[in-house]
Amino acid sequence: MGQSPWRLALRRLRRDRIAVAFGILFAVLALMALAAPLWAEVAGRGPNATNETGQIAADGGAIDVVSLDGVPVGPQWRAEYLLGADANGRDVAVRLLYGARNSLLIGIAAALLTTILATLVGLVAGFYGRWVDAVARSALDVIWAFPVVLLGVALGTALALGGLTVGPIDLAAGSIGISIAVIAVVYVPYMARPIRGEVLALREREFVAAARAQGASGPRTMAGELLPNLAPTVVVLAPLMVANAILLEAALSFLGVGVVPPDPSWGNMIDAGTEKLVTAPHLAIAPGLMLVAAVLALNVFGDGVRDALDRRRGAAWGAERP
Amino acid sequence: MKAKSRYPTALALALSLAALLAAGCGSGSDDDGQASAGKQGGEITIAQGSQPDALDPAIAYTSNSWEPLWLVYTGPLTYERAEGAEGAQLIPGVATDLPEISADGRTYTFTVRDGLEYSDGTPVKAGDFEHAIKRVLNLESGGTYLFEGIEGATEYIEAGESEGDISGIESDDATGEVTIRLTEPDGSFSNVLATSFAGFVPSSTPFENQTESPPPGVGPYAITESVPNRQFVMERVEGFDIPGIPAGNLDTITTEIVKSPARAAQDVIDGELDYMQDPPPTDLAAEIRERHADRYKQWPTLSVNYFFLNQSLPPFDDEQVREAVNVGLDSTAIARLLGGRLSGSCNIVPAGIPGHSERDCPFGDPDGPGDIDRAKQLVEEAGATGEQVTVWANNDATRPEIGQYYTGLLNEIGLDADLRVIDGAIYFDTIGNQKTRAQTGLANWYADFPHPASFLQQVDGTTIQPTANGNYGMVDDPEINDEIAALLPETDLQSVADRWAALDERVIDRSYIAPYGSEELTTFMSDRMDFENCSLVHPLYGNDYSSFCLR
Amino acid sequence: MTRFVAGRLVQMVAVLFAVSVLTFLIFNVIPNGDPAQRMAGKSPTETQVEAIRADWGFDEPLAVQYVRTMEQVLGGEAISYFTQLNVQQEILAGLPRTLALALGAAILWMVFGIALGVLGALRAGRLSDRLLTFFALAGVSLPVFWLGAILSHFLGYQWGLFPNGGYVPFAESPLDWAYHLVLPCATLAVLFVGFYSRLVRSNVLDTMGEDFVRTARAKGLSERRVLLAHVLRNSLIPVVTLWGLDFGAVVAGGAILTETVFDIQGVGQYAAESVGQLDVPPVLAVTLFGAFFIVALNTVVDIAYALLDPRIRVGGR
Repeated sequence: MGQSPWRLALRRLRRDRIAVAFGILFAVLALMALAAPLWAEVAGRGPNATNETGQIAADGGAIDVVSLDGVPVGPQWRAEYLLGADANGRDVAVRLLYGARNSLLIGIAAALLTTILATLVGLVAGFYGRWVDAVARSALDVIWAFPVVLLGVALGTALALGGLTVGPIDLAAGSIGISIAVIAVVYVPYMARPIRGEVLALREREFVAAARAQGASGPRTMAGELLPNLAPTVVVLAPLMVANAILLEAALSFLGVGVVPPDPSWGNMIDAGTEKLVTAPHLAIAPGLMLVAAVLALNVFGDGVRDALDRRRGAAWGAERP
Repeated sequence: MKAKSRYPTALALALSLAALLAAGCGSGSDDDGQASAGKQGGEITIAQGSQPDALDPAIAYTSNSWEPLWLVYTGPLTYERAEGAEGAQLIPGVATDLPEISADGRTYTFTVRDGLEYSDGTPVKAGDFEHAIKRVLNLESGGTYLFEGIEGATEYIEAGESEGDISGIESDDATGEVTIRLTEPDGSFSNVLATSFAGFVPSSTPFENQTESPPPGVGPYAITESVPNRQFVMERVEGFDIPGIPAGNLDTITTEIVKSPARAAQDVIDGELDYMQDPPPTDLAAEIRERHADRYKQWPTLSVNYFFLNQSLPPFDDEQVREAVNVGLDSTAIARLLGGRLSGSCNIVPAGIPGHSERDCPFGDPDGPGDIDRAKQLVEEAGATGEQVTVWANNDATRPEIGQYYTGLLNEIGLDADLRVIDGAIYFDTIGNQKTRAQTGLANWYADFPHPASFLQQVDGTTIQPTANGNYGMVDDPEINDEIAALLPETDLQSVADRWAALDERVIDRSYIAPYGSEELTTFMSDRMDFENCSLVHPLYGNDYSSFCLR
Repeated sequence: MTRFVAGRLVQMVAVLFAVSVLTFLIFNVIPNGDPAQRMAGKSPTETQVEAIRADWGFDEPLAVQYVRTMEQVLGGEAISYFTQLNVQQEILAGLPRTLALALGAAILWMVFGIALGVLGALRAGRLSDRLLTFFALAGVSLPVFWLGAILSHFLGYQWGLFPNGGYVPFAESPLDWAYHLVLPCATLAVLFVGFYSRLVRSNVLDTMGEDFVRTARAKGLSERRVLLAHVLRNSLIPVVTLWGLDFGAVVAGGAILTETVFDIQGVGQYAAESVGQLDVPPVLAVTLFGAFFIVALNTVVDIAYALLDPRIRVGGR
């Protein structure tokens, strides 16, 4: 029978050193994000601790953290204010790491939610077909037709004022739960369609027919036979969904919905930073670079995963589309 | 609400020259304080950060729109084109002279100047005044309250007929005489006659928002083109001649709507734009002050910037908690966020207006650090440590950062604060709606009239209403309410200035608001313009375009 | 076939209807915004607000308001709550700007995408190909608003190579028009070039298959060129259809971020501002406009594919 296809894929992946390197890069970024409170201890201030009128020691004297003209101090390359201060006197490096926490958390959680929803929808639609499929496809079409950013901003703005209560789930306005929900919904069609396509193809295969013949019910067939075979599709799409989610979160925060100040996220840090490019370019450059690093790492690693799992597939369109 | 609608018209102003203190009002760069005639001719392009609310004199009610419009439309009266105290002096506009006021103060008579024409050549008729007022009332303008004191005005509104008659206004086209009867004496009515709402427009002007094709008016400039949200063009009117109103130096002024202040500032620096109405962003402030000081200045305004403290809800229903905010507040921190454009103060009535209290600030020097420890103590004593507070701010330039400073301050003194930033367009509606239950947040107020009542109105309990509420703090202090009502009819402001100042002090003593000062605005021009001789700053209308000229 | 097309058209209308209802609900049910207050302007009295509410029908049931708003939007009569300006006029004013940005970017990413994709395919497996793949991935990893802000600041303001942003109408000065569009189009294009170059690369590789390797080694360069011409024609069909869909998506709303960063005042920026202000008529109009673009192009593609491949007609995508 030979080795399981998974083990083969894993071996192929390990040989792709670039993909592995970038996978490690992402892991390192995630670890840094987790270690944010540690760095806050070292730097001596929290992410939201403002300090407009403070001073720090420099060049043998004391300088303003934020000058009287509103110019924040640049990178100091030591524990306190390693990467400088922002307009409110907060420590950029500390915020960067806490921002990484928020951005990565939202990205991963949203991608997870998207995966669950998309798998459910794709499975049910592809398996049962007919009117179930029609309804599912129509719902997907409606979400697909909404311009992505507009939908995100629309939901984010509307919810920012009032919050959302769905059954037992109560999301206070501005909580990251809203960001996660919005981003997750937006990407469901991107994943549900390929999954549905897979299910349609798999449905006609012998092992499914065999299971039905043995009297397995619909849900059992779906869970037992189809789901495991969908795993490659899901695994290939997953890193790319996380990458997209992180980018969309940044875009929403940039537009003022999503993670709201004073809480940091890469997106809202870039937003604040772009207003200070003349006097404090480090405010925009630092979060931007970190964001690019994380997303690039995911994209390269995801590319390697796809190559490892199925060389025939080439570019799965719909995956890392902007 | 009766009190609210009659409030500003009962501003008992007979503004005399001496009534306004010159100190702090405008920078007075000219010798005689008048707009000097500079080089004639030329075209400039200027920028505004957002589309004016309307380019129709009957409706326009923001500084964006008033800055261009007061050069295009003139009412029976207008203000002296000068800086400082002189600029608040009333002079005749379309009228031949200041109005004759009857002994009982209820009848105003003036005569329209002979031979006056609109910018399109149409002769100006006395009857046009009533038409202009009818438009204000019929179009549900924000300026309606200013004219409701005219006899027959309320009936006109209720009748709903645009061509109806306002019984209190009588005019004779032959003699040019206009007589206005009020239901009650109102010492501020002369100022009302100087607003753009009272600007003369031809009687043929339709009862519709004319922003896309503004009607002709009487003034040094006329709006010849208007593409909303893109640009509008003002051209000098040849043959405009009213004594006291300068004719303007430039031929054409094109205003472009440039939504990004950074781009506008960069363009003014590079000379692609000649002037920007909004202050340049903080990011460029230092550079502009250092390298372009020869074409930049900032000047204090008649305004108050503060944090409102809603006393109908915890924790700010407790005076100790409110005081803690004032004790801990450091306006120098906010000054940095405004790029240095702040004159710190601890008053509700700004410097330059009688009724501004000159005493030392009770909670520490406004230009010094706040006392965080004492503030924490106050919060603890009040038992409010850990109480949840939501701070409101809007997303206009510098506001989110100020909101973040304030949120940080509240957290430092022991409260549990978070920030909510919403779009500037819906901000005041939201915090003015009692359903929002806004506990605290940013607010500011610019003088409509140079009078302390304009500012104390914000803490007058009789003005509270469920929506569009301007008393965000829900301040309802009977002593303040009664004293304001007693002081309003007083025509001689100077004689009661100390009583107004006492109110100013009471508001701060009780920490009804947490003020941090008044924001300074700017004049920033390109190299082409003659900054030294041609940049007049009017106390009410800001930069005077008719003073602009090229080198 | 006609039944298929008719079915698709009906589906299109249904989707647009759902989008409009959803948008309307999002803005009317969830927040506690009050359009009557906003229209009343500065310092209104309670009676004034009430009068506006009655005049404009904000006190009517939601369904009635929805129908009325839709009538206005579809009839071109909708007015913004905030600025009182006609929405359709604003959209038409912004459309040429958005189209110019989108088209410019689309042409750029197509040209460079094909060029780099073919290059990568020709050098498949070699270092240059792997570098190209890396840069392609980097391209799709860049947040467009960050890239735009950095480029605009350094190339525009600091070094003065490009204007400080903004848009100059073609009628005013074709040269300035193009000059102002270079950075925005390039920024938007970078986002897509990466994806398209990889798509083209893999399609070309798929189409060529092993024949290419053998033939190229045996015959030499001119053969390669002939093969490429044939190969390109076949492998580009899916790319072109995708290009159409992406172009539609950009016009519909993908340009929002770029327009905001460069202050282009197109439809996207208008949409973003209106959404932030909870201004329902423009939001409805722009969302429908965008959705229509996307759905129409999708439908056209579906019909085209159905024409080409009868098997697809019944089973759906």
